[in-house]
Amino acid sequence: MRISGKALIMGDHVNTDELHPSRFFSLDDRTVRSGFLQAAAGYEQLGGSDLSGRVIVAGENFGCGSSRETGARAFVLAGVRAVVARSLARIFSRNVRNLGLAAVECPALPALPPDVAVELDLARWRLFVPDGALDLPVTALDPFWTAVLAAGGLLPFLGLGDPLGPPRRGALPVYGGAP
Amino acid sequence: MTPQTLTEKLLRQRAAEPVIVGSEFFRIPVDLVLGHDATIALLIERFQQAGRRIWDPARCFFAADHFTPPSTPERADILRRYLAFIQHEGVAQDLVFRGISHQLLIEDRRCQPGMVICGADSHTVMAGALGAFACGMGSTDILALLLTGEVVLSVPESIRVAFEGAMPAWLSGKDLALEIIRRLGEGGAVDRALEYHDRTRGGLTMDSRFAVANMAVEAGATNGVFVPDDALRRYLADRDGAAGALPGFEGAWLQPDDGARYVHQLRIDVAGLRPLVALPGDLGRIVPADEVEPRPIQQVFLGSCAGGRIEDLAIAARVLRGRRVAPGVRLVVTPASQAVFHACLRNGIFEVLSEAGAMITNASCGACGGIDKGLIGAGEACVSTSNRNFRGRMGSPDGLIYLASALTAAAAALTGTICDPRTVLDDRTAASLRAAGGAA
Repeated sequence: MRISGKALIMGDHVNTDELHPSRFFSLDDRTVRSGFLQAAAGYEQLGGSDLSGRVIVAGENFGCGSSRETGARAFVLAGVRAVVARSLARIFSRNVRNLGLAAVECPALPALPPDVAVELDLARWRLFVPDGALDLPVTALDPFWTAVLAAGGLLPFLGLGDPLGPPRRGALPVYGGAP
Repeated sequence: MTPQTLTEKLLRQRAAEPVIVGSEFFRIPVDLVLGHDATIALLIERFQQAGRRIWDPARCFFAADHFTPPSTPERADILRRYLAFIQHEGVAQDLVFRGISHQLLIEDRRCQPGMVICGADSHTVMAGALGAFACGMGSTDILALLLTGEVVLSVPESIRVAFEGAMPAWLSGKDLALEIIRRLGEGGAVDRALEYHDRTRGGLTMDSRFAVANMAVEAGATNGVFVPDDALRRYLADRDGAAGALPGFEGAWLQPDDGARYVHQLRIDVAGLRPLVALPGDLGRIVPADEVEPRPIQQVFLGSCAGGRIEDLAIAARVLRGRRVAPGVRLVVTPASQAVFHACLRNGIFEVLSEAGAMITNASCGACGGIDKGLIGAGEACVSTSNRNFRGRMGSPDGLIYLASALTAAAAALTGTICDPRTVLDDRTAASLRAAGGAA
């Protein structure tokens, strides 16, 4: 699988509260989407812009902190295509992969200029940066995660349904059991 | 057989075949699943779509602690939806509105050593203080668990953490938790287990152990686990009484093997530590309290699953007895559970704190996640006993959160600035802390 896109560069130890502040915790996808990057200093405006097709390129321990899956969901709703970081926090990397979004580690990742084009090859485990003529190794995912991503997320991998469920819009009815 | 760490023992005996060929991930049967109103609400629709029931409602440990009471109409809707869901699925409602899920877990007979516990919240790791494997996950992992009774996990390697020496009266578990992160680095334990060995003279209090295990995730660890010992045995005997564990929830008393392989070993001489503070922003800058540049503070938050237990509130009461918090400082006190709340009522802690000027709330997550009752504004500084000082976590992204022990937080409330708590202890308070051995 190859994934290419324009990089959105972020730093080290970017935590879940910066990526998606808890005040945007919601069952409405519009609210969840609008919270993307809203406490990441200098990224607030970018977070609200069209990010479809972008690849997040970050430093160490990306996504540390909370398990709130609204954060990972915001990546998907924003149209982010993949996440590559020097290292990834555990719960966050599970969350995004569970929703079908590739998250991989590239320990040798150097500092890159904003918006540079990048390409991930998830068959040969390489990260290409054509402008800088970089060809870097990506840590191969365990076959479990490769299978989860190929299936489109954990729930389809386990045969338990859609990764994201139905689109969430507006107030939901109070739960009344299986439909 | 190869000697095993405690986490390997907890998981390996349940890990049969890899989930797929060539994988290091296994389907692991789970004893208890922790959930609460916020993160379980995120999975309800997909649960409905799957058209199945919860594999075992008796193993669901579901509290309501985030939106309790709700601070917005939408959160009221989320809470109501969650409560309707758990009622419909036949999950007991005995934990609802009783306090923070993680604290309720360690207070409950259902939580036993040797168990595998997964929860829809990162601080589920705290139950590792009881010798269980306990780890936090997102809603999709928990949804799959509710439908199948299993999670897919790899078995992490372990970092051995040994506490040695005699605990000074001015230290508590929070200082030790910060010292571990200071030494390992934020994210220094990603995909690892922390295995804690208490070799201190007299032993750490259980409340301090909970504070240590709670912040395993702040070092990035999958789980943190204390090696079961006599202190745990006494805690369980006191908690569970003669009846012991519930049938079907017995757990197991496991120890790491001699010669088990650790990727790293950390020895912490507690006698040599000073009270620590994590500076605002992340857990990358942890320094002794006496090296923090003093600055006026507007709020002190005494609460959360990291620092809202009876030990914490009792320490604060000893510092504040007969005194007043500094003018203009908001001291927000949020007990971690109803049991803590009731103990504070019985032993006069609330009276002392209230007379000192504290604002006391119901047991809940409260201000920790910026949820309610104690948010901070731009340019404000808060000293908090909670576990995260991330930008914007308690309100404005331009507010500052300093993390510290209850003692350091109480000293900040008293003086209106961040200081070394040892400088504000008069002889009487110091003596009472020493007499209590730092405990309640």
